[in-house]
Amino acid sequence: MAFTKVLLIDDEVEFASALAERLQLRNYDAKAVYNALEALNSIYSDKPDVVVLDLKIPGMDGLEILKTIKQFDPTIEVIILTGHGAVESVKEGLTSGAFEYIMKPVDIGELIAKIEQAKKRRDNK
Amino acid sequence: MEYDEERDLRVSQLSFIGNILAGFTHEIKNYIAIIKESAGLMGDMIKLGKKSKNEPQEYLEIIHSIEEQIEKTNDLFRYLNRFSHRMDNELSTFNVNETMEELIALLTRAANQRKISIEKDFQKDILPMNNNPSMLQFLVFHFLEEKITKLDKNSRLIIKTESANGSTVIRIIPKGNLLDADKEKGYLPYEIQDKVVRQLGGNISQEKEETVIKIPITDI
Amino acid sequence: MTYNSTGETPIGKTSKERDRLKVNNFFRALLHPRDFFSVLGKDRYKSLKIRIVLIDAILSVIPLFIVVTVSYFWFQSILKEDFRNNMKWQLVGTKQSIDFFLEERLSALRFLSSNCPYEKLSDRKMLTDIFNKFKREYAGLVDLGVIDSNGIQKSYTGPYHLLGKDYSNQDWFHEVIIRSGYISNVFMGYRKIPHFSIAVKKEVPEKGTFWVLRATIDMETLKKYTSNIDLRENDDAFIINTEGILQTPSRFHGNVLEKFIPPLYLNQEDISVREIESNGNTVIFGNVFIKKSSWFLITIIKSTPYLKIPKIFTNELFIITLISIFISIAVSIGMTQAVVNRIKKADQERELAIANIEHSSKLASIGRLAAGVAHEINNPLAIINEKTGLMKDILDLTGDLQQNKEKFIGLINGIFDSVNRCRTITHRLLGFSRRIDVEHDVIDLNDTIKEVIEFLEKEILFRNIRLELHLGKDLPKIETDKGLIQQVLLNIINNAIDAVDHGGFIELSSNFKDKNTVQISIKDNGSGIPKDKLKHIFEPFYTTKEKGKGTGLGLSISYGIMQRLSGIILVESEVGKGTILIVEIPIKSESS
Repeated sequence: MAFTKVLLIDDEVEFASALAERLQLRNYDAKAVYNALEALNSIYSDKPDVVVLDLKIPGMDGLEILKTIKQFDPTIEVIILTGHGAVESVKEGLTSGAFEYIMKPVDIGELIAKIEQAKKRRDNK
Repeated sequence: MEYDEERDLRVSQLSFIGNILAGFTHEIKNYIAIIKESAGLMGDMIKLGKKSKNEPQEYLEIIHSIEEQIEKTNDLFRYLNRFSHRMDNELSTFNVNETMEELIALLTRAANQRKISIEKDFQKDILPMNNNPSMLQFLVFHFLEEKITKLDKNSRLIIKTESANGSTVIRIIPKGNLLDADKEKGYLPYEIQDKVVRQLGGNISQEKEETVIKIPITDI
Repeated sequence: MTYNSTGETPIGKTSKERDRLKVNNFFRALLHPRDFFSVLGKDRYKSLKIRIVLIDAILSVIPLFIVVTVSYFWFQSILKEDFRNNMKWQLVGTKQSIDFFLEERLSALRFLSSNCPYEKLSDRKMLTDIFNKFKREYAGLVDLGVIDSNGIQKSYTGPYHLLGKDYSNQDWFHEVIIRSGYISNVFMGYRKIPHFSIAVKKEVPEKGTFWVLRATIDMETLKKYTSNIDLRENDDAFIINTEGILQTPSRFHGNVLEKFIPPLYLNQEDISVREIESNGNTVIFGNVFIKKSSWFLITIIKSTPYLKIPKIFTNELFIITLISIFISIAVSIGMTQAVVNRIKKADQERELAIANIEHSSKLASIGRLAAGVAHEINNPLAIINEKTGLMKDILDLTGDLQQNKEKFIGLINGIFDSVNRCRTITHRLLGFSRRIDVEHDVIDLNDTIKEVIEFLEKEILFRNIRLELHLGKDLPKIETDKGLIQQVLLNIINNAIDAVDHGGFIELSSNFKDKNTVQISIKDNGSGIPKDKLKHIFEPFYTTKEKGKGTGLGLSISYGIMQRLSGIILVESEVGKGTILIVEIPIKSESS
């Protein structure tokens, strides 16, 4: 069985790269990208199963990226990253098609659980 | 006269917030310092190439400590966030238990230093209030701070919340000996206390050692 | 609080023009009472009260005085007029009495001459008898005589020896022949007593001749009439003839038969009562002509009885005026107290309300800043978390440190970096929290600006806005309230961010305006503000944002803050080009 493809989109390089590594250690095909352009390129070329997306990325509205992903392939599930006090953006994200959300700093166990749920959902479509 | 009183109140409130934020910051700085030291220690250990039997256990312990600090910092910032947002509007609907939790988070360190434990006795399904949460925190904080300073070591301080007859009742119940040292030092002068309580539309009373604060659920 | 009294905004004006505008506004404010006293800085309410009461007092006293004065003079002229009329009547009355008196005597003589023939009257005994009867009826007669057509006194009764006297050459004889009735002037008789005579001519047509009947009258009788005139101490009344010779004695103007020179031309037609100057005084000169005897009746009034009355009038009036003024001022004081106290109360309430709004606003911005910090810390914390977690994962997996030595060092360095980030963030929060209630700092302007930018950095980056800083070098430290300045800058820069939205450009500069002032300019290339809206942007509750976004209070509060700090906010804007907001701050704070 192929590993679940996970794409991490976050402009904080240190964070995303470390997290990607941790996911890789857990047998996920995880990749981190740090801007919108790379994100979209990756989506089109790599076709990930699950996307973990930080909504606040300079250069392009995270919400736009989310919508683009969903338009491109609605079966790709998106988990949005959020911080304290960003309740509004979570709501917006969920109504725009995000599957789940998780708060930073990320509890790796919680993230894994959500990725699995997302994958299951995708597989069922 | 009233003008000056109002001004004193505003200055007090700002002072209070300044102190709270400073308090938050100091605590966080401590946690971060611990993280740094821990990480530094690990770095040193690795560089020195010390190979001991306990390895990797030692490292895991340090990492665990770091993770603890991260969690504490995160929690504290959650409270800071909540506390800060209380100031967005003068009037809002809020859960009084949550506001009390924020205060407790602020005071825990000071309480721990004096070996005083703060206990929560919150009514679970307490009715949300429509009032000025920041102002309420301002008021309750000073009573809590006063008690913490006056209580003897190993005492307890219970904060109890309940809804009753259209009011929210907050009881501050000290369990232990109260030292009467420095009665007025640094606490809220009575006039300002009175003003705040009137602004909130409620009243304060003393039932033996319990301080009872009654605030109407809706401030009409 | 208005931007300035005329609502004129210094758009596109040079620094000099702006300063002139400020001076103009200052003087305009001076004329407006409230601002005048806020300029003075003293207990403005007390000053206002005093000012109102003074103006009120002056305004009520002046008309009062005008009315009183006008009434006084009006009243006085009426009294004068009255007095003059009175005098005229007296003159007329006296003249008529004298006329009547003379006419009566003339008529009597005529009657006598008609009824008693010449022969009868020539008889001395008869003449005396008739004369005695005559005297009983008509007072003042001194003698009676009959004179023939040659002028010889043929018959005489009286105290003088005038029998046989020849009057043929006398003027009066010629006069009586012509006029048939004649009254003489007063003359000194043989006994040195002044009297005058009246004579009538009796024609005897049968004989073709005439005779004259003549009587002498005592001047005293005449004098009685002048005495009847209402006179006071310094007044005089007398009779003169057409040559100015006194016919009666006067009190101050000469005795009988002395000459009196009238001070003005005496008209024989009218009765006149006039005011004239005499020896530096004003006297009233009245005269009337007595035709029968060609005499002038003269009155000279020096006393001014009509002035005495006004004096009483003045006394009472003075008291009434004084009482009126007193009452008026008392009422004025009472009302002014009430009104100004109300104003004071309203002002205080207003200031209280504004202070409360500012306070709320300050709290809200503190909250936002603190929350912003909390939000910011997420990332570095998350990084530490991940790297730590990764280290744990590696240890769990391999248990061998040595292989991954490099990696671990790398991760630990990464943790250090994030720790530093956290520190910077919390340090900012600490500094900020310390400053929340401090009011008098000495601050570095550029640092202050940079701190504010730090808070907004994320937002600016997120919206892809290009930010340019042109911070002046060598700017001095400023005495002001750092928290307030930051609040103002936060508000303005936030507005600029909202104005340019995505992909815009904001330029921030700081420089000297003059040796006492520094200024910060915030320029954006947003859509600009149309001229008609520009006037209103500093007004409270004015906002162009849609409902729910923005209270419209930000700029007005910022404006108020700058006013309190003795600075000012200026705006220049052009639709389609952008907006510049300039914040001017005095280097030294005005110590209150």
